[in-house]
Amino acid sequence: MRAPEEIIIRPLVTEKSTGLMADNKYTFLVDPGANKIEIKHAIEKLFNVKVLKVNTLMDRGKLRRVGRFQGRQSDRKKAIVTLKPGDKIKVFEGLE
Amino acid sequence: MKAAVEKLDKNQVLLEVEVEAPRVQKAIDQAYRRLVKQVNIPGFRKGKAPRFILEQYIGKEPIYNEAAEIVIPPAYEEAVAEHQLEPIDRPEVEIVKVEDGEPLVFKARVEVKPEVQLGPYTGLEVERQEVEVTEADIDAYLKRLQERYAELEVIEDEPAAAGDIVTIDFKGTVDGQPYPGMEGNNYPLELGSGTFITGFEEQLVGARVNEERTVNVTFPSDYHEKDLAGKEAVFQVTVRGIKRKKLAPLDDEFAKDVSECETLADLRQDIRRRLEESQKQRVEAAVRQAVVEKAVAAATVELPEVMVERRIDARIRELERNLQAREMTLEEFLKNTDKTIGDLEKEFRPGAERDVKTELVLEAIARAENIQPSQEEIDAEIERMARIFRQDPDTVRKNLGDLSVLKYDIMIKKTIDFLVEHSKPVPPREQGAAGETAETAEATPA
Repeated sequence: MRAPEEIIIRPLVTEKSTGLMADNKYTFLVDPGANKIEIKHAIEKLFNVKVLKVNTLMDRGKLRRVGRFQGRQSDRKKAIVTLKPGDKIKVFEGLE
Repeated sequence: MKAAVEKLDKNQVLLEVEVEAPRVQKAIDQAYRRLVKQVNIPGFRKGKAPRFILEQYIGKEPIYNEAAEIVIPPAYEEAVAEHQLEPIDRPEVEIVKVEDGEPLVFKARVEVKPEVQLGPYTGLEVERQEVEVTEADIDAYLKRLQERYAELEVIEDEPAAAGDIVTIDFKGTVDGQPYPGMEGNNYPLELGSGTFITGFEEQLVGARVNEERTVNVTFPSDYHEKDLAGKEAVFQVTVRGIKRKKLAPLDDEFAKDVSECETLADLRQDIRRRLEESQKQRVEAAVRQAVVEKAVAAATVELPEVMVERRIDARIRELERNLQAREMTLEEFLKNTDKTIGDLEKEFRPGAERDVKTELVLEAIARAENIQPSQEEIDAEIERMARIFRQDPDTVRKNLGDLSVLKYDIMIKKTIDFLVEHSKPVPPREQGAAGETAETAEATPA
């Protein structure tokens, strides 16, 4: 199994994800190849919390063009992790 | 809010103020709400980021600073009111502590009005000029009335005499060169009125209608237009017409024409009354001026530089306004008079210092004697102003806002009244002093 640091890329801080924190759900960008079980183990190991549930979704990169050049944003995988009530993650240093 | 005052040297005061935690917390919340609207944080719409996100993004400092800006000014005002300080400058504020859930502490250093050491201000000896209107004064006044209501008679076959009004065309040259502004047509000029340069009017005496004359004059060395000062000029003048003032004879008819009076005797009475009234006012103003000057001279006070500077600024602005009325800018004025703004400041300083001292001393006397405007006096003053401005008293009241300026003015006026009441009138030493005091009377603070 890969190291947790390789699976969890960074926390995702948006209005929506901040709102979810009220339900003890934390949102991360993860390696697109990672599965829910790997994510669960990685989070538990990194933050020393108990994970109840992991929901994931693939975020397909959008087509972008600059003049006549067409490109596309990278695909991302988002993981919404539900923690056991009372557990908290206090790490949001990865703000851009 | 808790505030401690510490007197520093001179007229400085150090305030140490502590603001209660709940009030600080409210201010911090308010600061957050204000700041969050200004900051763009990726992932959030403007103004939608929660506080902890904002704090991570911009740090706590800016929020605390904003909160301090919200909480300090009113707290400072309260502290000033509580300790009855009279600041004359903006305070220098230093934040000692600001934190969530804690009281905020700040220090404010500010210059306050200095203490005034009053000298004796009752029983001041003041010369009071007698009000005296002589028959000669009335005659002079009548003469002026005659002049003002004189009819103009067109003269055709006589030479112009002093006092006549001639209509002239003129064209002036300096060193043979025409000069802008030294030209005019159909200009009415009263000979002997001193409107033109010295010598000009005299040289037209004896001229007849349609006569051309050459007038030679020298511009005075202090002439306002520097290029021309001291220069000799030649004017070609054509007399277009001559008019002579025809004075009406002093009789009952004249009295009826120029006034409401029926007879000349009535008119003389009326003039006497008016002259006496204006003399009385002049004497009163002189007495007020003198008594204030004496009280001020007897007091000692260390003049705060800020107040003096502010007064100098006010005087310069006033000058600027007066210049504007003559369509001149301050820069032009300075160029014409060959002065710098620094010269003006130096020039205004003694007057400004006198004003500030007068103000401080009068305030101190008002405080010592507990002189305050009563409600009736305030109402009466508003009534008076309403009459002057032809406005509704209520409108005037509204325009005056919190009336503090009005109250202050009444207080100062009452203080001067007090000084005059408690002064000791002495007979004037000599007649000659009257003109002098009347002249300076304008400077009396209202």
